[in-house]
Amino acid sequence: MSKNPYQVIPATIYEIIEESPTIRTLRLRPERPIEFRTGQFVELTIPGIGEGPFTPSSSHYVKDVMDITIMKTGFVTEHVHKARVGDVVGLRGPYGTCYPLEKFKGRDVLIMGGGVGMAPTRSLFLTLLHDLDDYRSITFLAGARTPADMIYKYQIDEWRRIPKVKFLRSVDKVPEGESWDEEVCLVTKLLNKINIDPHDNPVVVCGPPVMMKFGTFDLLKYGYAPRDIYLSMEKKMYCGIGHCRHCVIGKYYACKDGPVFTYEVIKDEENIWE
Amino acid sequence: MIVSKSEIHAFFKRCQAEGLGGFQQVIVPRRSMVQPRDLFFTALNDKVEMVLESYRTVDPLRALFYFPRERILGGDVPKVKRLVVGAKACDLRGLQVLDKALINAEFVDPCYAAWRRNTTIVTVDCAEIGVSCHCNLVGGKPYAEEGFDLNLTALDVDYYHLSVGSAKGEELLALIQSATTITKASPEEKRLVSENRQAAVRKLQIQNAGLERGENYERLKKADIRIWIEEAQTCCGCGGCTNICPTCYCIILNDETTGKEFIKDKSWDSCQVNGYARVAGGATPRPKMFERFRNRYLCKFVNMPANFGLLGCTGCGRCIDVCAGKIKFTEVIKNVMEAKQVQETEHV
Repeated sequence: MSKNPYQVIPATIYEIIEESPTIRTLRLRPERPIEFRTGQFVELTIPGIGEGPFTPSSSHYVKDVMDITIMKTGFVTEHVHKARVGDVVGLRGPYGTCYPLEKFKGRDVLIMGGGVGMAPTRSLFLTLLHDLDDYRSITFLAGARTPADMIYKYQIDEWRRIPKVKFLRSVDKVPEGESWDEEVCLVTKLLNKINIDPHDNPVVVCGPPVMMKFGTFDLLKYGYAPRDIYLSMEKKMYCGIGHCRHCVIGKYYACKDGPVFTYEVIKDEENIWE
Repeated sequence: MIVSKSEIHAFFKRCQAEGLGGFQQVIVPRRSMVQPRDLFFTALNDKVEMVLESYRTVDPLRALFYFPRERILGGDVPKVKRLVVGAKACDLRGLQVLDKALINAEFVDPCYAAWRRNTTIVTVDCAEIGVSCHCNLVGGKPYAEEGFDLNLTALDVDYYHLSVGSAKGEELLALIQSATTITKASPEEKRLVSENRQAAVRKLQIQNAGLERGENYERLKKADIRIWIEEAQTCCGCGGCTNICPTCYCIILNDETTGKEFIKDKSWDSCQVNGYARVAGGATPRPKMFERFRNRYLCKFVNMPANFGLLGCTGCGRCIDVCAGKIKFTEVIKNVMEAKQVQETEHV
């Protein structure tokens, strides 16, 4: 008889990093390693509360621990933000599609991450860094609403020192009392600051729906082909295993056929940005 | 093969009373005490009068395999050995959809798979047609041709024609043979099977004349959105249609973990309610009622065929009977498919 697909692996929170007023990173040590490919997601259970789909923000080369960066935005995530070091959560997965790294080899890889959408793309970024020689260049465009909302600040200097890596950041606005000496604009406008040949090079987008939508349109204008635009779709991936149908996008399941889709595949489906 | 009705009815009762064949429960349709036209599945006992030859029950067969709420993690896998007698062809087609989604897929629903494994299904041809029955419009028949374990066709008031459809059916047949007298069907009796079946088909054709609409269901997707707004006018979004549908299997999960063990329950959900696809933060792809209404039709006629190669509608008509808004499912399909077509992009 096959294994119960809902069986979780208990994981202990060994560290919590407060990234912003609404975003924190749980550093988890599962009872046994959960192997995943960057871009795939896991279901995280807060015992007695509920479960949600999250994409790890750590490299898929790191096996025994896993980072998951989570924004406080709903019922389960509110409880994620109440969790403490030493608490045990449940993990199951990984599920869904990953970023096709083999197609990225030898190319200029562009990553666009907005808000907590920087989490899955950090996993990709760290995985790419592991095999840096395989890629021509990596450009990361990161956006947040305000400087306080920008996550992974403590790693930025280290990342900017890496050869072949370009890391640009922008915030939508700088509220009084906060300081910021980088760009102030929508993250999609950072495209004006870079010079990448869009022909036959991949771009990965993850962020809030409105950023995904207009980011995709801007990338098309920039010259990227729909087949080269990789989107991490946010849908209600309840079960993660194609049984609950909540994440269906037309004939696709976000949990099985995604969450990573090329724009080419889903552009004709309805309501993809909602 | 031919078997007498009284003998095989007595056999089913013995399965329940004496545990013949190791069956722990025998489930049959019985008449509602309030509305005799309506049939419901019930556990057989000596007070229950089984009604095998009528049309489908009010409750979908699916509900015997996919419970409204069930522990899916941290509980026992169901082990009850059951015999369901009197299932109908439309409901069997519904289970075929669930089988593709929940068993013959990358991941297996352990509860559904166990109920399927431990249950033997005896289908009985429809001798009557319900007022909302329309299996003939979706390529179905009022009798099962595949997917059953054992099938019974009433020949006349006294006898059934019996056929076997699976290994489980073979086992059951052996048991029936030990308890009843089974004879070989004569050519005349075989002709009667076909005649009785055709009579039921004709009833359906007469009942549903004028509702034929072809099979180009992409037209549902491309129809002018205004026709959907019009058709959905009396829909109150109660979700009755999805609860009673033989192919709907959407669930939500509840975490019931209390101590160290992780526990999860699954419960039916409905795409007709507003919160269905809402994500944390509040975004939902179908905030308006007519969008959710339309989604159900597209799921049944466009998405499920793309996912499983099967229509998500088996023509049972339950969604028509249950509808608080008196919406006629079959008429909606016809009206929308005949409505003006527009480019898909006009919707987004």
